[in-house]
Amino acid sequence: MQTKIKEYRAKLNLTQDQLANLVGVRRETIVFLEQGKYNPSLKLAHDVAVALKTSIDKIFTF
Amino acid sequence: MTLKKYQQIKLIITVAIAIIFSQAILYQNYLIPLATLVVASLVLIWLRRQVKEVIADERDYALAGKSASWAIQIYSWVAVVAMFVLYAFKDLNPSYEPVAMTLAFSTCLLMFIYSLIFNFHNKIKFTANKNRFILLAIILSIFLGIFTLRLFSGEDNWVCQNGQWVAHGHPDFATPTVPCK
Repeated sequence: MQTKIKEYRAKLNLTQDQLANLVGVRRETIVFLEQGKYNPSLKLAHDVAVALKTSIDKIFTF
Repeated sequence: MTLKKYQQIKLIITVAIAIIFSQAILYQNYLIPLATLVVASLVLIWLRRQVKEVIADERDYALAGKSASWAIQIYSWVAVVAMFVLYAFKDLNPSYEPVAMTLAFSTCLLMFIYSLIFNFHNKIKFTANKNRFILLAIILSIFLGIFTLRLFSGEDNWVCQNGQWVAHGHPDFATPTVPCK
């Protein structure tokens, strides 16, 4: 799994901590998500996409 | 309160509980650990509510589930092997048998509780007849509790009376070889 979370986060000037607070997870989970080491639930993927003002298919590639 | 501070206090409380428990065992006082556990649990629940940050998320829960499953499997295997070894050598020392039984029953109880919780989250939580399943689980737990109490009640054992070992009930192991004082 590959993600573009880091790129979209940079575009919005969001830190990992801020994104974590927006989607209600720990910062560590965002780190794992960005590295493609954690397969998120559909709800978390949706929340991240909404927070980054994009869609799930644009940030997650399987 | 920050998450870091909460975790530090949690660590201090855990160490304090361990110290109190060990001292209570030494002084054979079983009320102190019970009271400590209740107070510590309440303090931790209160502290947890003071933390504004996310303490655990879906990744933590997924990891916790996986870790619990592994822990149950490892404990069960170790307990079963130890139980068979102790039971095989029960004639050498009669005290091996209750230890073996404790291991066997604790493993069964662990599996039983795991199956109950697993089935609750898997199916029962979403069915209309939820109360029927909960009632069945309570009845099963009561029966299991009564059976366990009966097993560890001290029935069917050798009792030391006036310097002699006297059979109490129908013990299924030989008279203890240790002197009866």
